[in-house]
Amino acid sequence: MILDNTILWQFDVLLLPMVIICALAALTIKDLVGAAIVTGAYSFLMCLLWTEMLAVDVAFTEAAVGAGVSTILLLATALHIKRKAKD
Amino acid sequence: MLDIIVIALMVTGLFFFFGTTIGLHRFPDFYTRMHAAGKGDTLSSILLLSGLALYNLHHLSPDTVQVSLKIMFICVVIFITSPTATHAIMDAGYESKVKYWTRRKDSSAPQSSIEPGKGEDT
Amino acid sequence: MKRLTLLLTLILGAYLIWSVEDLPEWGDPTSPASTYLSPHYIENIVEETSVPNLVTAILADYRGYDTMFETVVVFCAGLTVLTILRRTERKNKKVSTPRPQREGSDIILQNTARLLIPPMQLFALYVIAHGHHSPGGGFQGGVILGASFILLALSYDLKKTLKRFKESSMLFYSGLGVLIYAGIGVVCLLLGKNFLAYAAWSNFLGITELEAHSHGMLGVEIGVAITVMAIMFSLYADLASGGDLDEGL
Repeated sequence: MILDNTILWQFDVLLLPMVIICALAALTIKDLVGAAIVTGAYSFLMCLLWTEMLAVDVAFTEAAVGAGVSTILLLATALHIKRKAKD
Repeated sequence: MLDIIVIALMVTGLFFFFGTTIGLHRFPDFYTRMHAAGKGDTLSSILLLSGLALYNLHHLSPDTVQVSLKIMFICVVIFITSPTATHAIMDAGYESKVKYWTRRKDSSAPQSSIEPGKGEDT
Repeated sequence: MKRLTLLLTLILGAYLIWSVEDLPEWGDPTSPASTYLSPHYIENIVEETSVPNLVTAILADYRGYDTMFETVVVFCAGLTVLTILRRTERKNKKVSTPRPQREGSDIILQNTARLLIPPMQLFALYVIAHGHHSPGGGFQGGVILGASFILLALSYDLKKTLKRFKESSMLFYSGLGVLIYAGIGVVCLLLGKNFLAYAAWSNFLGITELEAHSHGMLGVEIGVAITVMAIMFSLYADLASGGDLDEGL
């Protein structure tokens, strides 16, 4: 790691496992509404990761689009189709 | 002096967060869990953020005062939105007739009871 | 089939992770990208565009053509959802599962929404206009503007919101944003410079070429924001009502 002193590696250690857990949970949850909410949580954690990497513009976009609007759109879609996924 | 206030605020905030987590984990049903999450979350977030805003005032200059004001503005937004979100989730649960936990075992209970500890899937 | 897909995904994933080894290390000053490209932008961006936020300057000026077609992609996505989902006459009953309908309205939710929506929209306008100096820009501001309408539709109902922001005006605004973006570029062409070379506006507006870059970027961001706002709300309205536009979530 080159920029060792400017980056809080503790955040990496904390956030990366949570991101992976959220991603796996979003894939495995059978309830589509739950999966949509977990996807929102995943987006928010990604937003924190972008902020930690000092890419604030990307983080802002991720927070507005990923965690905000696309969660609502996924929920709106999930409520109109069958709630349980087959596999 | 400022440090003592900041530490006090932070420790109180963390204590309430701890209580929220225990409440979320241990309470028997949806409503009581939301009650723990909504109240504890709001109070502890506000305490933690006020602690940060005060800590930021160590070097008193227009810039740091501005940052502190922004943090206090986040406090105001959390104070408005977090209870409303809790209310909305609670209300949605009530409308869709999520069962609540009760100690009564007889059949005259308003809605069927759930054993403590097992809890409703939330 | 499922096993095969899993195997294929695992092999591809392992291959991708293996290829990460060859990427330059994060923040490596000797990597190709940061030996001549990044230093050029970092050193010259204020002299060339007078915009201190590198991301906005690259997005809207150096890569303006790219961003224009990103806006067109958003526009096309909105039109696609509209084409697939929108239905005017109801042929068959709704296929959605019946949800518990509340009687009456929720006064706490509505008043909070009324309290929050004006600051949200103000903040969105700030994000659009202040994207030159701080993180932000057309996409983010437009999404926040659209989210304020979605909040109104969630806390009240879709019909009331559609009275404020009609479907016809949704379509109009989503086209208008792209038109503003492309129009600024075309005016540059007509004034004798390249497409989206904002310096051409300097004589027209009576400002220096540097300022013209900044103003051109602001105009472009406004166009992006208008399109994104209209498309975001139209996506929500179509997805939440299943194309009928009669009731939301």
